[in-house]
Amino acid sequence: MTARGLDVAKKQKKKSKTKQPKPTMAERADKHELYQGSVQVPEADVEIFENIFMKLRGRRPLTMREDFCGTAFLSCTWVASHPKRRAVGVDLDRPTLDWGEAHNVAKLTPAQRKRLELVEGNVLDGLGTKCELTCALNFSYSVFKTRELLRKYFVSVRECLTDDGVFLTELYGGTEAIVALEEERKCKGFVYVWEQAKYNPITHETLCYIHYRFKDGSKLERAFTYDWRLWTIPELRELLEEAGFSKVEVWWENVDEAGEGNGEYTPTESEENQESWLVYVVAQR
Amino acid sequence: MVKPTGRRSAAAARFDRHAYYERAVQDPVNDAAMLAKLFRRYRNRQPMRLREDFCGTAVLSAHWVKAREGRTAVGVDLDEATLDWGRRHHLRGLDSRVQLRQENVLDGKGAKVDIGCAMNFSYSVFKTRDALRRYFEVARSTLVEDGVFVLDAWGGWGAMKAECERKKVGDFYYEWEQVRFDPLTNEILCHIHFEIAGGIRIDRAFTYDWRLWSVQELRELLLEAGFSAVHALWEKTDDDGEDTGVFYEPKRIDNQEKWWTFIVAER
Repeated sequence: MTARGLDVAKKQKKKSKTKQPKPTMAERADKHELYQGSVQVPEADVEIFENIFMKLRGRRPLTMREDFCGTAFLSCTWVASHPKRRAVGVDLDRPTLDWGEAHNVAKLTPAQRKRLELVEGNVLDGLGTKCELTCALNFSYSVFKTRELLRKYFVSVRECLTDDGVFLTELYGGTEAIVALEEERKCKGFVYVWEQAKYNPITHETLCYIHYRFKDGSKLERAFTYDWRLWTIPELRELLEEAGFSKVEVWWENVDEAGEGNGEYTPTESEENQESWLVYVVAQR
Repeated sequence: MVKPTGRRSAAAARFDRHAYYERAVQDPVNDAAMLAKLFRRYRNRQPMRLREDFCGTAVLSAHWVKAREGRTAVGVDLDEATLDWGRRHHLRGLDSRVQLRQENVLDGKGAKVDIGCAMNFSYSVFKTRDALRRYFEVARSTLVEDGVFVLDAWGGWGAMKAECERKKVGDFYYEWEQVRFDPLTNEILCHIHFEIAGGIRIDRAFTYDWRLWSVQELRELLLEAGFSAVHALWEKTDDDGEDTGVFYEPKRIDNQEKWWTFIVAER
């Protein structure tokens, strides 16, 4: 805070003796809690990973590496999902990992905690124990904007897999992924807003934000900012193959009779484009 | 294909798809002027020798040499019948200045040129990075030391879905149909249809089975192929948002429903 800002704050404090302003919902909110409550459904992720891995390898996966793990919500869910499961979570950001320790890891039993390894580090460095399954969710690899960097990341992912390991990542696209837009979704106690602020067709760079809005009219604007390259499916496939993966598949969501996605995914080689889609790209070591 | 059945089809049978294509799609006088302008921007001299890959009827090559004394052109296309059509309609009296070569653009034969071009997205038939990089390497090898290669690109969210656009051109209709865009491969299947006088339809006069390459992918491949600098251009618009015909190199632009632009690669 600047000196002037401090002065203003002091004055406001004096005034507030008479009338204490109640903190807004946005001021009281915890952005990681909001994120976990709006974007992540780790139980569903665990189920999808298990299904995909089972279909490819004929057994249940026990070890998982979560790159860009953030609060390690998924890793904690993973170790809690089976008494033999182990997880390695990797993230650059110490405060976010600390938040995860305090809120997610703290809820685990001591036995579960022993099966969790949280690493503060760069996903490019290949730190931590080798796993059968590695995931990079929520498009976090999109921070790598050049082919060289993304290939380097994929090489590092491959090296951290066991011999028959599988890498699983998500990608979004469709005609609405490359326009400026703002989408609202109601969540428990708040509204989640996904904003695609800018998309540059010459570089495929996209700038996105997550905002949260509350019943009392308060807002947590730009709680999260994403400065990404929006990669396409063929580009990811090409880079995964260049990085040495032996087989790369794209798993597309099945639809029910009404044309709604049913949460089940199957591999496909050809699809009609849609306004918006989300796929799992599955690469076998 | 045009199937001759009855009276209606007599007109259809006489239908000359190249003539209609040129009227609907091509603007060779402006394209020739634009290519020269782009070359001068980066090289500060007059370009004299043009190579038109995928030249088809070579109408661009014809206008290139007509626009300035001393200019020459090499046109390359696989299809002999189309080249022949061009010889008959555009190249009479220009034989000494326009050389047509019926061969694969990947062969890279013929005299070296100042400026090479691949227009109307024809390079999109190369669907793998390896094939397209190989083509760019060959294109680079056909240029003189300070040569420049120009290609056009298109995109926008309107390019990535099935749709059909229809526009009136003189006394006929031109239709551009995007049959299918596949996000798994970025492959796109397109047709050109015509509807001529008397409501006679010429369906699928031309078919394009392409990969829709992005500007960024093209830039990466051109650099991998050895080009020293790649400029992705964008058309300036006036205050009313109308195109001006002036192209510049933007730092950042907003996406549009459908756009096309030029990419210039310096050897």
